[in-house]
Amino acid sequence: MKFPARCLTLFLLCAAPVVPAMAQPEPAASNLNVEQLFASTCGFCHSDGGRVAGKGPQLMNTKRSDDFIRNRIKHGKEGAMPAFGSTFSDADIDKIIHYIRTLKPDQP
Amino acid sequence: MKTRHGKLAAALAVLLGTTFLAAASFAQEVDSKRIEANNPNDWLTYHGSYNSYHFSGLTQINTNNVKNLSVAWIHIPGHSTRGLQSMPLAADGVLYYTGSYSRLFAIDGASGQVMWSYFPELDDALVARQTHSPYNRGAALGEGKVFVGTVDGRLIAVDAKTGKPVWDTKLIDSQKLTIGFTGAPLYVNGMVVIGSQGGEWPVRGKIYAVDAATGKLKWDFQTIAPTDETKKTWGNDSWRVGGGGGWMPGGYDPETNTIWWGTSNGDPLYDWSGPDYMTTGARPGNNLYISSVLGLDAATGKLKFYHQENPHDVWDFDSAVGEFLMIDRGGQKYVVHPNKGGYIFVYDRSANVKNVWPIAHNINYVKSIDPKTGELIGRRDMSAGKQADLLCPHISGGVSWNSGSYDPKTGLYYKIGNEWCMHLEVLKTTPVTEPQVQLDIGANFTIAPPPDGPIYGHLDARDPITGAKKWEVRFPEPPLASVMSTAGGLVFVPDARGTVHAYDANTGKELWSHSDGTGHQGGIMSYSAHGKQYVAVVAGFGGMASDDYAPTFGGVFKSMPRDDGALVVYSVK
Repeated sequence: MKFPARCLTLFLLCAAPVVPAMAQPEPAASNLNVEQLFASTCGFCHSDGGRVAGKGPQLMNTKRSDDFIRNRIKHGKEGAMPAFGSTFSDADIDKIIHYIRTLKPDQP
Repeated sequence: MKTRHGKLAAALAVLLGTTFLAAASFAQEVDSKRIEANNPNDWLTYHGSYNSYHFSGLTQINTNNVKNLSVAWIHIPGHSTRGLQSMPLAADGVLYYTGSYSRLFAIDGASGQVMWSYFPELDDALVARQTHSPYNRGAALGEGKVFVGTVDGRLIAVDAKTGKPVWDTKLIDSQKLTIGFTGAPLYVNGMVVIGSQGGEWPVRGKIYAVDAATGKLKWDFQTIAPTDETKKTWGNDSWRVGGGGGWMPGGYDPETNTIWWGTSNGDPLYDWSGPDYMTTGARPGNNLYISSVLGLDAATGKLKFYHQENPHDVWDFDSAVGEFLMIDRGGQKYVVHPNKGGYIFVYDRSANVKNVWPIAHNINYVKSIDPKTGELIGRRDMSAGKQADLLCPHISGGVSWNSGSYDPKTGLYYKIGNEWCMHLEVLKTTPVTEPQVQLDIGANFTIAPPPDGPIYGHLDARDPITGAKKWEVRFPEPPLASVMSTAGGLVFVPDARGTVHAYDANTGKELWSHSDGTGHQGGIMSYSAHGKQYVAVVAGFGGMASDDYAPTFGGVFKSMPRDDGALVVYSVK
């Protein structure tokens, strides 16, 4: 699956935090390639890039909230999902959530 | 009544204490001579003895009375995250086994009473970041100690009588490299040998030998490009993150003082090189010594010989399965070793190929393997992108990492073959090593049935040298646990649904079965305590292969816990 540039732009625009005056600097944007991340690390459990259930649950069309997914990525689940909180930045995790939200079934 | 109960309890305590002391005082130190002697009352090392037979010479439980086999006692270890996967050991009537988090237990083999337990304190934050964790696949015995590896990269020795730690040696920087130890160690001649995880992590996995008395490192063997010459088999300096390791205990040939050990696959697991793998892709070349069997000098750790079963392995059909059956037949000394791809390799005692035969029926990563040379014929090297055809077997293997069993009486090798495949899309990846090493598969995939029918597993009774089949029993889901044969004419198979089966070793006829209440994916062994034979099996599901069972098979697997387990011990009343 290719990540359309239009989606990415839209996502980055939408995801840009509302920064009040005197706030901390905007966090660095993520350079994470989520498609590649699923092929290297996540896909062993979340089969077919997260489209179908495998060792881990199907992520495409998940009813879980963004907060739930963010928390699960950061802290993991004992015996099931590793904790990635020290590996990925908040911006990385936002990008992963966006990838999950835009997953579409494989084209035959 | 209160007083009477109190007196009774006190008397019982004295009695039980005496029993424990008696069991402990009978204990003689385990050494290599004793392991080699292979007294059938004991099960002193992961594979039963150095010959890797997983065979019990005990005959009290046999084809005539196995119908009366029933539960003698059960032990619940608790906190069995990803189930129980270990192989119990027994010496002088005391049973030793490990649970998740490398928890160790010593139990009176007759009564089931816990004599001591040892729970090592692990780096919980690291464990939470690991994928292949926190299960443990067993311990080793030697010199009055019990040895166990940990997922945070340590090897620990505990006093076999008291359970008190003797030494604790950090061998791997797991906090950085993520990998640790899940496999059992092997005790050989005053040393404890253990292999690291590796495979699909961008690391360089090693095999370590530690002094059993002091815990000091005696030697280690770098499985990824240990020499300048072998670095040439890794293009673009890809050896720096080559994977490897050897996560299951191997075998030992006392005649030549040689340790046999199987190594893991390379990183990334699925290279996108296509057929030009010698010059392109993530790791151009044959990639020594991934997916190889190694013969290491036990005294020095120096490589004596090797055979790379799958050069430039791009399928995760590695050689980490730890069975090295030492079989003498017709004046020839053989070593039989199953490869995860579903082929059984037959070697002489210097790893020269004598035969290769398939135990799985659905194999298409190669067209065949030359039985005279071991050369892969018609290998399938995939380029990046969706693969039009199924890849067989599935990543969980044509055989499991668990062991088969060789019965020297029947001359048959009892081994599970798995029939399953996968849809696959290979993707180019970049190894992640900062701030901590991350898993590096290189593909998206889903499990799938073989082209000609549903997924299944089969217990085969085969000639281990020729592969000739005598009988077969099929299972609707591949059994993942180890198999044991006995001199009582029996073959025991703990299946994935949770039932232990006993078959007639000559005919394959089922003679007995019993449910342990949850799936099996670990060891089974037999021992004698106070003159009585017992069969011990670990039950408890969950892990890298078994986690696929609920979405794939549904049924009983949907509600099967993946954080539970029990040691179940059987006897004939």
